[in-house]
Amino acid sequence: MGAVTYPDKAVIDFVDYNFIPVQIQVTDAALMQKYNVSWTPTILVLDADGQEHYRSVGFLAPGEFIAALQVGKGRYYLDTEQFPEARAMFEEAISQNPDANAVPEAIFFRGVTRYKHTHDPKPLREAYDILTAKYPASDWTKRAEPYKLIPA
Amino acid sequence: MAMQVGWLDHLAKALETSARTKKPVLLDFYNPQ
Repeated sequence: MGAVTYPDKAVIDFVDYNFIPVQIQVTDAALMQKYNVSWTPTILVLDADGQEHYRSVGFLAPGEFIAALQVGKGRYYLDTEQFPEARAMFEEAISQNPDANAVPEAIFFRGVTRYKHTHDPKPLREAYDILTAKYPASDWTKRAEPYKLIPA
Repeated sequence: MAMQVGWLDHLAKALETSARTKKPVLLDFYNPQ
């Protein structure tokens, strides 16, 4: 990550704009244990109370890294019930990095966010339909399968 | 424009800044070797 992803200008701009970034060495055994980290790189998205909302383990190239963190920030907004902000982050991931591995997760959680915001289940069915059409092999498509029971 | 990510090196400082700015913390555990 330090050799390829973090020096990337788009990554620098994205991280500095969207997050308070902090690096902790693996020698900090107390924090490694607190957050159950056993391998690097491990990246967490935390709220101001230190609660975890998203986790990524393993190397990500710059485009994949940005897409994953768009989902991560979206998950933070979703968990804290900031629904318009969550939806905007998932939309960013979907539109700006359409080929990234994180996109199916963004589509899934965009549907969840819209449902939780409006209590209309149709966005869940829409998420299932999009995932089935565009990402039939994705794990997130399998997780969305119950939503096929929702009338379109 | 910055030439590198503006990493902090203390979690407590990052959490304090997060509370003030309403931005989430990105915590990266890394091995410098």
